[in-house]
Amino acid sequence: MGLLRYTIVRLLQAIPVLIGVSIITFALANLAPGDPVRLMLAGAEVDEELVRQIEAQYGLDRPLHERYLTYMEGLVQGDLGYSIHRDRPVADLVAQRLGPTLLLVLSAYAFAVVTAIPLGILAAKRRNEAADHVSRIVALFGVSTPSFWIGIMLIIVFAIQLGWLPAAGLVYPWLGPEGYDWIDTWPELLYQTVRHLLLPTIALGTLQMATLMRVERTQMVDSLHAEHVKLARAYGVPERTILRKHAFRPAQLPIVTIVGLNLSTALGGAVLIEYVFDIPGLGRLFFEAIQGLDYQLIVGVTMIIATVFVIGVVITDISYAYIDPRVTYGERE
Amino acid sequence: MHGTRFQPGRRRVLAASAGLSIAALAGCIGGTDEEDDPEVEDYQYDREEPDDEDAATGGSLTFLQSEERDDDYDPVHTFDSYSQQVVNLLFDSLYEWTDELELEPHIATDFPEEERDGERWLFEIRDDAEFHNGDPVTAEDCTVMFTQTIEEESQLITQYDMVEDVEHIDDHSFQVDLEHPFGPWEMMTMGVPAIPREHREDVGPDEFNEDPVGCGPFQWADYQPGEYVVVERWDDYWGEPMPYLEEIEFRHTPDDSSRISQILAGDVDVIEEIPSGAWDEVDEADDVRLHIGESPSYMYLAFNCNEGETTDPDVRRAVAHSFSLRDFVEDEMGVTADPLVSPIPEITDEGGGWEFPMDEWEESMPDYDPDEAEALLDEAGVPDDWQPIILAPEGGSREALAERIAVRLEEVGYGAHVNAVGFGTLAEQSRTGNADDYEMYLLGWTGGPDPDAYYYNLLHESGEELTQGHFYEGQGEFHDLIEDARTSTDQDERREMYVDITEEIIEYLPMLPTHTEHNTLAAGEHVRDLHVHPEVSTNPRFVSDYGNVWLDE
Repeated sequence: MGLLRYTIVRLLQAIPVLIGVSIITFALANLAPGDPVRLMLAGAEVDEELVRQIEAQYGLDRPLHERYLTYMEGLVQGDLGYSIHRDRPVADLVAQRLGPTLLLVLSAYAFAVVTAIPLGILAAKRRNEAADHVSRIVALFGVSTPSFWIGIMLIIVFAIQLGWLPAAGLVYPWLGPEGYDWIDTWPELLYQTVRHLLLPTIALGTLQMATLMRVERTQMVDSLHAEHVKLARAYGVPERTILRKHAFRPAQLPIVTIVGLNLSTALGGAVLIEYVFDIPGLGRLFFEAIQGLDYQLIVGVTMIIATVFVIGVVITDISYAYIDPRVTYGERE
Repeated sequence: MHGTRFQPGRRRVLAASAGLSIAALAGCIGGTDEEDDPEVEDYQYDREEPDDEDAATGGSLTFLQSEERDDDYDPVHTFDSYSQQVVNLLFDSLYEWTDELELEPHIATDFPEEERDGERWLFEIRDDAEFHNGDPVTAEDCTVMFTQTIEEESQLITQYDMVEDVEHIDDHSFQVDLEHPFGPWEMMTMGVPAIPREHREDVGPDEFNEDPVGCGPFQWADYQPGEYVVVERWDDYWGEPMPYLEEIEFRHTPDDSSRISQILAGDVDVIEEIPSGAWDEVDEADDVRLHIGESPSYMYLAFNCNEGETTDPDVRRAVAHSFSLRDFVEDEMGVTADPLVSPIPEITDEGGGWEFPMDEWEESMPDYDPDEAEALLDEAGVPDDWQPIILAPEGGSREALAERIAVRLEEVGYGAHVNAVGFGTLAEQSRTGNADDYEMYLLGWTGGPDPDAYYYNLLHESGEELTQGHFYEGQGEFHDLIEDARTSTDQDERREMYVDITEEIIEYLPMLPTHTEHNTLAAGEHVRDLHVHPEVSTNPRFVSDYGNVWLDE
């Protein structure tokens, strides 16, 4: 099976998973306490006729399975439903909030990968020396400290005390300088984007960084002591070449797996970070939907998060297959 | 009640419940050092007019709201206080509210003439008011709220559904006929904004919502749904005073800590809703000033009179005796709240000129007396293992109050389960009348200068399962009195009815009034002449007779 076919098969396998997610989420959201129409009208003097009218308008008077089938019919056409609370299509709300979350999560990943790999290699090369001990302490801190607490500390130090970086918000590079009348040029826009992104990225990426760094170190230690590396060293291959050609690549397989599987952790962490840094992303939208029992939105956002996660897993599998030629794309041997 | 002014709905209650998370308390009753206690007056400032008006004119201000706007900027459909904060700058109204909740004419030349025993109201408007598009403000434009909220079945419909007919006499006068006399008419519905009827019909409500044209001191400038709204000064404003500010940008941050961080870091100019837990931190910060103003907010502990032990008034009284409300408010809320002795906050009493006997009511309120509480519970035959469920919004002062009541009940030999839940669950569960769901619940309501906003919505039987879940049947004429008080137009007569109703509430305690939370703002020191208004939806009042915000930079 070629890589393309393998990719298609993996994507097709994701469909039943997503259908399962939709059934469970739809059922749970609809069985939760709280009538969405009454909640929306809370505060007004509500007459039963009005409640019935609104329920009929949104099909809430129909049996659960009929509503689910209608929902799925819309879903395959890209319709995620309609939020009665916010009087907006769920797809619009999600589209508006997905960008900031992806920007945040991808930045956190980039930060984690870019810092963890060199530090992991350094720790492996200097095993049981000072650098290794420092990396261990950093990793311990990163794994055991909640990301929101790191975020709050970063705000107190770098935003409130030193005043170097903004305490909250994001500047989106796709919005353009005209969207921010205090920014004149594209380079300045990118500069402001980075300034706003720096603290939440570090807060969200520290856990990933710590995990990856220790895995990278362990893998590199193993790799540097592998038979083929010893042989290369005996042949007098320069240490830099050994590191780059013979030890590095095989050590990256677990890293790819962890990056893919940790996507759900990162998305979960993003909810808190979006709150701490006041970033209007998908995580915060999800949190608000749960608070307000906006079940159409709960189901819609869950489907999007599940889809992103499943795609992340598929990409991981594909990357794994690409990096390690021994992976046979599921063919019988 | 004019919903766009006094928003009692879920947004306000949500906003009020979004206080900083406060840990559950052990409930110390210790005294407080009154000399060090700050007062509301310490955070109110005199007028700060600039020496050089030209130098003060201009500047952009960022205001951070505490909740996301529903993004409804067409006043016919604006239902949330946070969109209303924007709308109030774009649209001027027939009448406006002072900072003491007194009504004064604005587009109207004077107060309306009343005919047919309060069933007909005749209004006259000035002839120099203009909309942003240059059209004059006519009588037809001042009646859009009375007609279109009903015709378009807006969420505000219940505030105008007593309107039977509207007739335009000429360009500058009109009359409104009501189906029946409505006591709160003057106070609750006359602050209606003028909306360009013809323009709105031409573009349609949807387009009008995204590019509203009003006759207020600011006009629509920029908008990103869910992100920000920018309004800019309208240099041809017909009214007075002309704003100093060039531009105001509205953003929102529901998380209290994040709002506090942003004002401390100097990222924004003004934030609203300062949680009591963060008060001292902000107060001690350089370059930031706190502002506070009384509000018509009403927090209460309601008892389930439908099922369970709390159907017995003595049990309700025992609960009220078991804890000290005053100590709780002082300990937990500090300067940001005051205890209440009736459902009517002080500003409602004063603004409406009601002169209710607050001192007498305070005397009658059950005070902290654990022995009396224990005796009443014993006499009522409450089982020894009684552990009522107290429902409260998650986080904030009401959860803390629920925890304190639970601790105090434990001290008199019983106890309680505090069930702190999200607002969605709370709104649903607190109206079932089922003792398995709750025997008490803590909620809040924001009315205005007329007691009807509180009494009809929170106590009348028509609100059972909708706006209240105590199911109190009342003694004799309780519900009739509430209904009569809203159909009478004689203020003295209404006052007597409300006194009777309140005395019954204090005696039989279907709900225990707890506290009123003040409106609070924090602003950079460079923001001058900023004042807090009692209504959340008008806060801060950037341009008014008593304040015109400018930036000292």
